[in-house]
Amino acid sequence: MVNVQIDGVWMQFPKGTRMIEACTQAGKFIPRYCYHPKLSSPGNCRMCLIEMGMPKMGPDRKPVLGADGKPEIAWIPRPQISCAQDIAEGMGIRTSSPMVEDCRKGVMEFLLINHPLDCPICDQAGECRLQEFSVEYGNAQSRFLDQKVKKPKNVELGPRVTLDAERCVLCSRCIRFMKEVANDDVLGFVDRGSFSTIACHPDRQLDSNYSLNTVDICPVGALTSSDFRFKMRVWFLKETKSIDVNDGLGCNITIGSRENIIYRITPRENNDVNSCWMPDSHRLNFKYLHNERRFLGPQIKTGSSLAPVEWPVAINRAAEQLKKYALTSSLAMIASARMTNEELFLVGRLAKALGIQKFDVLPRVGEADGILIPADRNSNTSGAKLLGLTGERPGARLPEIAEGVRTGAIKALLCFEDATRCGISETDLAKLESIVTMDILPNKTTALASVVLASSGFAEKRGSLININGRLQRLNRAISAPGEARDDWEILRDLIQAVSGSNGIYMIEDVFKQMAEEVSAFAGLSLSKIGDLGVQLLSGDGKAAERLDADQPVAKTPTA
Amino acid sequence: MTITPEFEAQIDEVITHYPVSKRSASLPLLHLFQEKFGFISDEAIAWIANKLELQPINILELVTFYPMFRRSPAGQTHIRVCRTLSCAMGGSYELRDKIANACGIDIEKWKANFAGRETGDEEHTHSTDLEQHHVHNAGHGNPIAVSADGKYSIEFVECLASCGTAPVAMVNDNFYERVDPDKPDRIAEILESRESDATKPKIRPPHPKEKRVVFANIDREGWSNDIETYLLYGGYQELKKALTMPRTEIVDEVKKSGLRGRGGAGFSCGMKWGFIKPDEKKPVYLICNADESEPGTFKDRYIIHQDPHQLLEGMIISCYAVNARLAYIYIRGEFPEGAQILEKALAQARAKGFLGKNILGSGFDCEIYVHRGAGAYICGEETGLIESLEGKRAYPRIKPPYFPAVLGLYQSPTIVNNVETLCDIKHIVKMGGVEYAKLGKPNNTGTRILCVSGDVTRPGYYELEVGAVTMGELINDICGGLKPGRKLKAVIPGGSSAKVLKAGEKYKLKEKQADGLMAEREITLEDIPMDFDSLAACGSMAGSGGVIVMDDSRDMVETLNNINEFYAHESCGQCTPCREGSLWMKKITDRMIAGGGVERDPAVLKSVADNIAGRTICAFGEACSWPTQSFVAKFKEEFDNYAKKPVPPPMPPEYNPDELIAKEKIETVPGARNGGVMAPAATK
Ligand SMILES: Cc1cc2nc3c(=O)[nH]c(=O)nc-3n(C[C@H](O)[C@H](O)[C@H](O)COP(=O)(O)O)c2cc1C
Ligand code: SF4
Ligand code: SF4
Ligand code: SF4
Ligand code: FES
Ligand code: FES
Repeated sequence: MVNVQIDGVWMQFPKGTRMIEACTQAGKFIPRYCYHPKLSSPGNCRMCLIEMGMPKMGPDRKPVLGADGKPEIAWIPRPQISCAQDIAEGMGIRTSSPMVEDCRKGVMEFLLINHPLDCPICDQAGECRLQEFSVEYGNAQSRFLDQKVKKPKNVELGPRVTLDAERCVLCSRCIRFMKEVANDDVLGFVDRGSFSTIACHPDRQLDSNYSLNTVDICPVGALTSSDFRFKMRVWFLKETKSIDVNDGLGCNITIGSRENIIYRITPRENNDVNSCWMPDSHRLNFKYLHNERRFLGPQIKTGSSLAPVEWPVAINRAAEQLKKYALTSSLAMIASARMTNEELFLVGRLAKALGIQKFDVLPRVGEADGILIPADRNSNTSGAKLLGLTGERPGARLPEIAEGVRTGAIKALLCFEDATRCGISETDLAKLESIVTMDILPNKTTALASVVLASSGFAEKRGSLININGRLQRLNRAISAPGEARDDWEILRDLIQAVSGSNGIYMIEDVFKQMAEEVSAFAGLSLSKIGDLGVQLLSGDGKAAERLDADQPVAKTPTA
Repeated sequence: MTITPEFEAQIDEVITHYPVSKRSASLPLLHLFQEKFGFISDEAIAWIANKLELQPINILELVTFYPMFRRSPAGQTHIRVCRTLSCAMGGSYELRDKIANACGIDIEKWKANFAGRETGDEEHTHSTDLEQHHVHNAGHGNPIAVSADGKYSIEFVECLASCGTAPVAMVNDNFYERVDPDKPDRIAEILESRESDATKPKIRPPHPKEKRVVFANIDREGWSNDIETYLLYGGYQELKKALTMPRTEIVDEVKKSGLRGRGGAGFSCGMKWGFIKPDEKKPVYLICNADESEPGTFKDRYIIHQDPHQLLEGMIISCYAVNARLAYIYIRGEFPEGAQILEKALAQARAKGFLGKNILGSGFDCEIYVHRGAGAYICGEETGLIESLEGKRAYPRIKPPYFPAVLGLYQSPTIVNNVETLCDIKHIVKMGGVEYAKLGKPNNTGTRILCVSGDVTRPGYYELEVGAVTMGELINDICGGLKPGRKLKAVIPGGSSAKVLKAGEKYKLKEKQADGLMAEREITLEDIPMDFDSLAACGSMAGSGGVIVMDDSRDMVETLNNINEFYAHESCGQCTPCREGSLWMKKITDRMIAGGGVERDPAVLKSVADNIAGRTICAFGEACSWPTQSFVAKFKEEFDNYAKKPVPPPMPPEYNPDELIAKEKIETVPGARNGGVMAPAATK
């Protein structure tokens, strides 16, 4: 540990702590624009200037000690940036001396002289560092009387990011992110001096699948999401911490919603999972939740078409149909490796109650992008394996099921995916006597189903998922499901009850409790114990990991 | 755009100069393309990026940073007129207008056309509005005015490092001195001439007070920059001697010599070299800083043009001393002839075995390449220079951690020294450090070349023992005094960034007496000894040795405005205070000159400068704020006279939000926009 004096108080920090981080940890937040803990430090904004000193050395080259037995500090007369240097033994830092205040005021004034007066129409308002710091460190009255520098506004840098160059504070965070994290050196500065402007080469767009992260880290409203632009003032948004379900990594996210509508999804820092980033494709993939074709309640087949019914009617119809084929080899099941652990656990129980022998999940594999997106595009393959809904090779049994459907050996299907994506043709599917399916949007399987159970999307429910690295993470409800659609686990619970009687489950916590009793990997855990940052549940080989952080996940340093 | 095999071979050869990183070849390639095609087309940018395995933006970043690169064609004859202080005092604004007229360029039209920045026009970077440069400080470069017939084009450039022969101009790659705007014949001559003043032999005997060491051969009769001449007069003897000495001994001699860097900062050369560990595992590089662009400084130019082998000898010795096997001479882009002379000298030295593998049988290998800049002053700052040499925008680096001697070129230990400093090394090896230290004064040893420009009868360069003459002797005796009937008003003693000294000021100087005791004495401007410590004690600095003299005909607000324009134009734009402050100060002095000065302007000027100095990444922050701080404080009355208007009420917002909402067609319906190409949708 290293001893550092911050605003007169001696404290200890681990070696290698950046000065700016040490101050934050000491409760002395230092304003900053260019510094980002996950990127290189150019030290260009000069907002983080502080006063710094090193121990005064005596003639014997040893630190001179003061009356308190602590080293005396020789203060450097010039302000220093705190974002690029690590703390050192005996260092002194002043975060609010008159010199420091004067520096901040000066930098704020410089940043504002050429800044447009756009706040009333700027998306960043409410989460803008410039706006925030100008209240805290700025001058009330501008002393600038001359023409502002004009720069391009409303420039589409790429399909998803819009630039307002006049609002840019030239911190270069976006450039560094694209180069250092996204491995796509597409942004740069053109012109120089006060006219410097962030830009792409005309032949190249900012079209990386990580482009929207630049919007997240842009400290001002220079880069905005073309998708989110002008839709909602950020202060109206309700923020829900959850996780992404588009692949097996499970980026930690914050869902921004208002009155049951999701406006945006942004990544949430988790150094064990996604750092501070997430792919564009994933964060923008929520609009289907607001699709007008969503199932608003359960439906059963009457004649040749589906008709809405009350829940008890649907549950009973489903149970009735499934029971008819129970304990025979003519009933098969396709579960989903995108279901939560809780859902999969209940699906497993249901399968057991119905004596289903043939079941598997639909694997989804794509190309890993070498940054965040893994090959596995299912969000809970690890959970499906752990809970026994699939084997080592997910989907290995699907051909057998498809063959059974084709030959007529299988007469009924309990299906949690679109069966036509599992190797079963529409014609074969149409031959089945009964299909019970659960989904949120119509597809080829629901069109042929006997019973459709209307369930919830990822932002509408709670539950847990295990990512490809064995980390147990938590989904949270940001909005409620439309109409009469219900939480998946509730539907499953009712179905089990209708098939085999009472099961003592009233809340999702009960599901987890029962699961933890049966599956040793979950032992000692509960949904609330998972915490916002998840728990390492399995080690790389799928075995239970040593859990040190099960009770209290350590909070990480807040990000910029 | 056709790339012939010969041209590509030339390119491939240039790339070999940068064995560590191809990216470093960006600037040289851009020069080759501009020489061949007249400008840098989008196609050229794409070709170069591809060749160097870079992204096109990496090249676009450079083209828009370095003012010498053009994105549209210039005239067949391209004229550059120096705009900076000494030349402006010598009439360069008038000169630009007269040359423009002589070339059939309608200068008034250019002046009237304030396109570009003001309208937010995206094409502003190619604006052909000449005056825009003066009024708005065009972003990256200098707007070029082209004559209707395409024969001529003209632009203003910043100090060409020949302030003693002001006003100066370049016609294509040729250079012309003392282009008197009142002599139409001279203008006609330079437009037609094929012979450049830069390479014309000049003969000028030194002033008796001079002590010629580094400049021993400059303007000397019978001297040429050829290696044979150099060898005839004992050239490369010191290299032979050095190669027989242990490295550490050379470093020790340099330490003993007390040599302080001649580039501006005056840092001890021996101490700098001492930072390189003798057992360093990483490669060590040496860079000669030949960017000479501090306004008022014009000494390296003459060494390069007239005595290049002296520099090479000094460099090779220095490389040996710090164990650098690869060295670059970073020469400013506006010295095309200098670059050629150096290339030729390098080839001659190589042919004679002074350079290359196993130099003179010593087992020491060393290679030196010339690297041309492209018109950006900030490339003189050593870390900006290193970034530029790495093929990037010349953004100075933060120190710590990027001290060149630790993390310099390619993140390896690097020594950057000025041309004059490296020449001094040769003489230190010759004389021995102790002997060299007898020149000059303690802590201010050796000789320095002082460059005097502005309002003196005999401007020029004078090599003097450091501190041997006073300011008064320099101006009145060596430089022949002021122009007839004029009185001294002010002196900028060390390049335009040095704080101005005002005639009539009194300074207190502490000096060691013969008996070893310190005594304080009050002195005037004329009494200041011309050495590092005395000038610092008087509140300014010896800097780069550029002394700019102003007589009582000069308007100090205009003068400061000229300096402000230089710094606003040259700020790299990386860090907030300098980027915003340098242009702001210039806008204020612009407005004051235009008659719009308000009462608080002098105070605001001072406070803006105060908010820059000491808070930036590099010392450009001080360079741009010291002039304002000192001018406003010392010539308060003059500034107050320009600042008589009452302060206006706060400005109304430039546009109201409603207008903008209408203009930007702001959509408010969720889901109205399609966010672009997405991965397949998840269904759960
Ligand atoms: C803004 C700025 C411009 C500079 N320009 C030059 C220059 O043109 N030539 C030069 O030799 N040094 C210049 N320097 C100084 C260099 O950074 C560096 O100190 C010098 O090259 C070191 O060499 P020396 O120790 O031999 O003087 C400049 C420094 C600053 C801050
Ligand atoms: S970037 Fe910030 S300060 Fe600028 S207009 Fe937007 S909200 Fe206001
Ligand atoms: S666009 Fe934003 S992130 Fe990028 S340099 Fe400007 S202010 Fe920084
Ligand atoms: S002080 Fe000026 S020149 Fe130096 S890095 Fe900052 S902006 Fe660039
Ligand atoms: S300079 Fe430290 S945060 Fe920008
Ligand atoms: S050459 Fe013109 S001012 Fe230096």
